Amino acid sequence: MYKKLIVTSLLLLLSTTLLLAQTKYTVSGTVKQKSSGETLIGVTVMVVEKPTIGVITNEYGFYSVSLPEGNYTLRFSYVGYKQELVPVKLESNVTVSISLVDESSLREVVISSKKDNDNLTKASMGTEVLNMKEAAKIPVVFGEKDLVKTIQLLPGVKSNGEGSNGFSVRGGATDQNLILLDEAPVYNASHLLGFFSSFNSDAIKDATIIKGNSPAQYGGRLSSVLDVKMKEGNNKDYQVSGGLGLISSRLTIEGPIQRDRSSFMISGRRTYADLFARLSSDMKDVKLYFYDLNAKANWAINSKNKLYFSGYFGKDVFSVSTLFGSDWGNATATLRWNSILNSKLFSNTSLIYSNYDFNVGFKTNTSAMNFNSHIRDLNLKQDFTWYANANNTVRMGFNIIHHTITPTKAEGTDIVNNKKSRKGLESAVYVSNSWKVSDVLNIDYGLRFSIYNVLGGGLYNIYKGNKLVDSIKLADGKFGKNYYNLEPRISASYRLNSSATIKVGYARNTQSLHLMSNSTGGSPTDAWIGNSYNIKPEIADQFSVGFSKSLNNNAFELNTEAYYKTMANQIDYRDGADINTVPDIESELLFGKGRAYGIEVLLRKKKGILTGWIGYTLSKTERQINGINSNQWYDAKQDRTHDLSIVGIYTLSERWTLSGTFIYNTGNAVTFPTGKYVLNDMVIYQYGTRNADRMPATHRLDISATYERPARKRWQGSWSFGLYNVYGRRNPFAITFKENKTNPQKIDAVQTSLFQWVPSVTYNFKF
Amino acid sequence: MKMKNIVSILFIGLLFTGCEKTIDLDYKSNQSRIIIQGNITNGAGPYYVKITKSIPLKDTGSYPVIDDAVVTISDDAGNSEVLTAGGNGTYHTNALAGVEGRTYTLTVQAGNQTYSAQSTMPKRVPFDSIRVETHIVTGETEYSIIPVYPDPLTKGNNYRFVLWLNNKLINQHLIQNDEVRNGVANSVRLEINDDDIEFKPGDSVTLQMQCIDKNVALYYRTLALISDSGPGGGTTPNNPPNNISNGALGLFSAYTVETKSVVMP
Repeated sequence: MYKKLIVTSLLLLLSTTLLLAQTKYTVSGTVKQKSSGETLIGVTVMVVEKPTIGVITNEYGFYSVSLPEGNYTLRFSYVGYKQELVPVKLESNVTVSISLVDESSLREVVISSKKDNDNLTKASMGTEVLNMKEAAKIPVVFGEKDLVKTIQLLPGVKSNGEGSNGFSVRGGATDQNLILLDEAPVYNASHLLGFFSSFNSDAIKDATIIKGNSPAQYGGRLSSVLDVKMKEGNNKDYQVSGGLGLISSRLTIEGPIQRDRSSFMISGRRTYADLFARLSSDMKDVKLYFYDLNAKANWAINSKNKLYFSGYFGKDVFSVSTLFGSDWGNATATLRWNSILNSKLFSNTSLIYSNYDFNVGFKTNTSAMNFNSHIRDLNLKQDFTWYANANNTVRMGFNIIHHTITPTKAEGTDIVNNKKSRKGLESAVYVSNSWKVSDVLNIDYGLRFSIYNVLGGGLYNIYKGNKLVDSIKLADGKFGKNYYNLEPRISASYRLNSSATIKVGYARNTQSLHLMSNSTGGSPTDAWIGNSYNIKPEIADQFSVGFSKSLNNNAFELNTEAYYKTMANQIDYRDGADINTVPDIESELLFGKGRAYGIEVLLRKKKGILTGWIGYTLSKTERQINGINSNQWYDAKQDRTHDLSIVGIYTLSERWTLSGTFIYNTGNAVTFPTGKYVLNDMVIYQYGTRNADRMPATHRLDISATYERPARKRWQGSWSFGLYNVYGRRNPFAITFKENKTNPQKIDAVQTSLFQWVPSVTYNFKF
Repeated sequence: MKMKNIVSILFIGLLFTGCEKTIDLDYKSNQSRIIIQGNITNGAGPYYVKITKSIPLKDTGSYPVIDDAVVTISDDAGNSEVLTAGGNGTYHTNALAGVEGRTYTLTVQAGNQTYSAQSTMPKRVPFDSIRVETHIVTGETEYSIIPVYPDPLTKGNNYRFVLWLNNKLINQHLIQNDEVRNGVANSVRLEINDDDIEFKPGDSVTLQMQCIDKNVALYYRTLALISDSGPGGGTTPNNPPNNISNGALGLFSAYTVETKSVVMP
């Protein structure tokens, strides 16, 4: 009933706001970067004569504003670019497309808001945009700049552990983040067991993370959206750039196919630690590397239509002689068609393919065994942006994804048990509106209707309390269980004065794909599973309030947000479940609920020779699952009370930049043994309450220095020197309990640490 | 499958400056619980039941024993026997026979509480031999120990292996089943964690094969998963689900047993 009410009221709201406004003519166009012709996302377009009217360019650099007849001046501004003023005589619909000049000498913020006081004027909550150019200056292990490592430095986003590329947003699990690369879902965003992310920073244009309050066009995960966009490629000139590091090297080539009309970009990366390792005779039978390849091309058919193709392919390989071998990787491909249907209506149609697979094989003299799993998607997306009038921007569209999911399947000598692929259809329709109610009040509201259909082609078992009660054999192509969910989303910002804004938001998100993992960190072996007769869509409701203030003439910006989130249909394993050999994983699952709450503070310094930020999160996240911890609430493993990150970038001179990061966080919630006993002459540990203990706290300081050599003709080069873990803190990676070698009566807690002082040097070039 | 284990250990060991140190942790205080250990085999009796109590993790003293319990074992063939207390927490049978296919029920009355457990002795599967394979990995010899036995066609067989290296019992939980391969001679190696033990040519390896029931296998498999610490740790540890009622820890197992030895090549 209440769902109906929400829908009705939202639709009413939508129609009234649109009818109320009256417009005359529209000015629209595309904003690009002058030197490369790359479109610019998030450029602010302000009407100087009407300072309350402003829009920002969309993902494809397009904007549209409707105004009464008259003479106006449009101001185009974007951080790191020279501002442009363009006079417009509005007597009919006009197109104003312009190119902005890159002020590369200008060093602003590392993670930049789109505009000086952007945090004050937009209703969106929990959203951060990353600028890759500046993220490059943050020190990272091995000197390999990394998008995911950078977002882990933001409040509300927690790394799964040292070296891990998995992250948890606002108390959610690692699988509750929707990671998109040019709209294609990336199912495992890490390389080398998490030490590197799948994103080659040279190929990335920008990235946005939305912590739960995502607009209605996004859906399918509970906690966050990480929307990563690849570069389009320079359509003016050929350009080669790359980097040489200790662990890996990168090379990117971009250029016009047809000047000003079409361009391409190809970027590759490979690690070569194993090549060095193989020089030593001991290691010559070990293979351990990853590579990835990003490619993109675009073609402007005419001034109104543009085609984009982007692809990603990444693979990790790890093998030890013939005994053991494994590989895993993602592949994605996106074909997009942008069309400016008229000056107010922008359309984007995408056809997306996404695949993740994992293989591992073992071989002995007499037998071989191979485990593999994969998830493959075919995805159609249609999105319309309607610039209804100066105060309303409406987005609507639909999305249909066909999933083929193969759980960990065993093959090889004598194997008799085999698991079958499952199919599912995940679809959604959505509508949302950004409504500028008045000079001080902005409301974004929307509704997403999501559907998941369990498709036939396999056997589905129904369990009650882990006992099999029924089996359903669904014929190929038949629809089985269907799940429907309405997901209302609303956020509002109210400007208190010229420097302060308060915000409130509510969002419901649902999730129909679930990652089955029985390790604390993420592992490439973790397999995805879709909704079934037992597994229902996970549901999260998040309420948040926020306060933003700019200080000292926009030199500082303070953002604080508090959230409370409830989660339903959360999944965990029952005790003793071995996910790899059990015939039906669903017999091993338990279901329950979760809650998470916290406060995030982000203080940024955006101007001056010293820039950076301090991020702090105070939070709690808990689960309650019948069958675990005597049915009592317990801390989720990713629960961390305190989480602090400090990032500083100091511009020493035109050539030298110094930067440093410091992190401190409470250890993860873990379960340590409390007692011991002897059973059949073996010491066995006794455990108490789940996750009642804590790993020791993690803290670390990393520094780096970047030297930019004076350009020689076209050749630009820069050196980056880094030192990870400056004071050699032994941060806990794992704690294991062992019998003392000399006194077996005594149990030792042994802590494993990964990195103590890791120096790095990287040379980057461009010509 | 301990792929995770292999990956993480090799990876960390080979490439990084990983290090280990013993640390001092604050442990939560522990509630001492009753521990019941009962075994019935297809070998000759007497069979033993031992009743002790758990102690805090940091203690190095001895385990308290319970000598005044009333311990009864009965089977589904109508036999029943009250066990004789032998001191030091042990109780033994006098006449009861361990027979394949029979289900045994253990009842313990101790300190106003009654605990009971059931276990079925599976049909014996013969332990044919131990096969040892060696591979040179990163310059070191890696041993694979493969117990050879003909898994029968009926599904649901579970096996436990107890390992002694040079007559020293190794505290590892080695479990195999026929979930993935059924009805064929076993060719899968035991997933021995060789972090702390090292096999050398000439070492004597003794392996005891036990055919165990489903609940006993679940108990040991849970223990094995807990000790499997991959990146970021293994499964969240807890007290493994056991077959004894009323909150007692420990295990009652009726199993067949066969032992073989081999000298490492």
